[in-house]
Amino acid sequence: MKELLTSTVILVILTAASTAQAASIYAGKSTAAAVCSQCHGIRGTSADAPFPPLAGRDEEYLEMALKQYRDKTRVSDIMNNIAGSLTDRDINNIASYYSRLKIR
Amino acid sequence: MKKAIIKLNRSILLGVSSFILSISCVQASSDIHKLYEDNCASCHGSDHGGYLAPALNSETLKGRSPTALRTLIMTGSFETLMPPFFGRLGDKDIRSLVKHLQSTPKLDNPPWTIEDMKASLKVYVKDESKLPAKPTYQIDSMDDLIGVAARGKYGRGSGSKAVFINSKTHKIVGEIETGTAAHIIDFDPANERWAYVKTDTAEIFKVDLYSMKAVRSIKTGYNGPGMGVSRDGKYVMAGSFVPHNAVILNANLEPLKVIELEGVDPDGKMVSSDSGMIIGTPYADIFAIALENAGQVWVVDLKEGFPITKIKNVGRHLHDAFLTHKGQKLMIASYDDSVVIAIDLKDRKIIKKLKAGCVPHVGGGAAVKIDGRTLGFGTNFGTCENNTVVSVWDLDKMELVKQIPVSGGTESPAAHANAPYVAVDIITKDRRARTIQLIDKKSFKVVKTLDVGGHAYFPEYSADGKFLYVSAGYAGDEVVVYDSHSLKKVASVQMESPAGIFSRGRVKYMTRGLSPDEME
Ligand code: HEC
Ligand code: HEC
Repeated sequence: MKELLTSTVILVILTAASTAQAASIYAGKSTAAAVCSQCHGIRGTSADAPFPPLAGRDEEYLEMALKQYRDKTRVSDIMNNIAGSLTDRDINNIASYYSRLKIR
Repeated sequence: MKKAIIKLNRSILLGVSSFILSISCVQASSDIHKLYEDNCASCHGSDHGGYLAPALNSETLKGRSPTALRTLIMTGSFETLMPPFFGRLGDKDIRSLVKHLQSTPKLDNPPWTIEDMKASLKVYVKDESKLPAKPTYQIDSMDDLIGVAARGKYGRGSGSKAVFINSKTHKIVGEIETGTAAHIIDFDPANERWAYVKTDTAEIFKVDLYSMKAVRSIKTGYNGPGMGVSRDGKYVMAGSFVPHNAVILNANLEPLKVIELEGVDPDGKMVSSDSGMIIGTPYADIFAIALENAGQVWVVDLKEGFPITKIKNVGRHLHDAFLTHKGQKLMIASYDDSVVIAIDLKDRKIIKKLKAGCVPHVGGGAAVKIDGRTLGFGTNFGTCENNTVVSVWDLDKMELVKQIPVSGGTESPAAHANAPYVAVDIITKDRRARTIQLIDKKSFKVVKTLDVGGHAYFPEYSADGKFLYVSAGYAGDEVVVYDSHSLKKVASVQMESPAGIFSRGRVKYMTRGLSPDEME
């Protein structure tokens, strides 16, 4: 299960991350649009979806959660794989982007 | 639960253990085809033959790694309509689905007869005379209404609705839940209070725009977007991909006649055909319907017996069309021949085949008057030889004027008599898909590219031409509104996976971009 997720998901992240080097919020926005929004949405997630919303959440909490997923101290097949390929800078960018968004 | 277990015994595909272990988030149904029908068919086709999404059957998925398919179903496909089913379907369900898909051939068309349709008619408002006599919300003119087909993340569920916006205030004035993804919205040209909404799963809702309520609905098939309303508002016609038929309904959504869609294609083969576009016209009491695979256009007279005139050999794989010359001429796109065919609805004959770009998809079409000439703008899906253009035709001389280079494949043009630019949506599958391009009406050049965010598609001008609405679809989840002159963003309207945008102004100007005077 872990391996199978790695292939598709990671590839997408890498391409998204490599093109996003400008201001951090912009980079965060672009990763969010390309990857995270698939499940978490941007301003809100579907009422029918089982994914936690990220918009308007505490920036430090988001950073901590992503780092825990990355070092697997928090376990989720999907998020461990997605966070596994994120750099500190990516995490920073995404957390600052999502935390500043107004909730739908 | 008992019922599920009885069904389970009949199902050879599911092991007992898999049923017990799977705590599915959908209904605990062990019927694997039902699982497909309830979660996938609205996009992939009830016959497994593909619809808005690729065909999923033993042929198309032959040799594919089940593991990779499972991953894809779990995470979805990024920046497409394919949603992540993680957490919605249990691992066991996904495994069984993959197994089922890889072993099921494309099915014969399941029947959906006139009796099935009649039985599916639902009446939500019994006494329509009790409906309010005017809009229950503030609006200057009903033409200011813009309807957006919100698909919902999963193509069904609470996010699937038709959302109506006052295009002067950019505020939502009504929402109609449609169960599955709303796809097309048509307005009654004769009575401003009615609109019709068709879903991916071929239900039609009749909507009272004054009270913003659905008054009736009917299921006309399994899948298929085609729908038109006659100029007098007395008839609605709907066509399906599954099964291959079309139906004429009265304004109470009661089916009057079902028409089987089959005919000899331009290569001499007798084929049963998907329904392409269906259009009513201000020109006459008729409907025109495209038979996608048979390459024919049928003209149905709205009189006793609904007689049909068949125009054959129009083109290979017909899809959508728009009207010109007060609705007397129909411009219809043929995907596989890369032409747009002009048809005279009076003589019911082909006038001419005009060169388009690669895989023309004209959307609702657009036409503008420039220096005395009426010019049609046609978008093109394809990207043959890296050559992506928007075609411009002189609709009086019926000739190609120009192929305007744009940055990718396009799917829908928008124009308005009072707006300086023709907007086209770039759909090429990378970051370009988040943009629209604006073509200057005078210079025929792209003068601006806007990053709308989300998958940007279906641009539409407000009836007064002051604002440009664009869907930021897929996970973008908003409709973005621009000032049509400055191209500055002025508003955002949140909804789940917005797609088609339909201004009520369309009934006034027939084809977007023409002034209402064209209709005199
Ligand atoms: C394929 C679906 C999917 C994608 C894509 C995805 N996530 Fe997640 N995410 C999940 C799921 C499922 C959970 C819940 C996991 C759990 O139980 O801990 C989650 C949880 C989270 C959480 C924890 C939230 C909380 O309330 O504790 C954060 C933060 C998060 N994701 C960030 C991201 C970011 C950032 C991205 C993009 C780089 C992303 N996710 C992409 C599925 C996804
Ligand atoms: C809202 C529309 C929608 C729904 C609902 C949907 N899909 Fe899809 N699906 C798509 C689209 C669009 C694609 C093409 C994605 C791409 O181009 O990458 C796709 C692609 C796929 C593919 C890959 C096909 C290929 O040839 O590579 C599979 C497998 C698949 N879907 C399975 C499913 C299953 C199983 C379900 C139901 C549980 C489902 N889909 C529901 C829209 C949908």
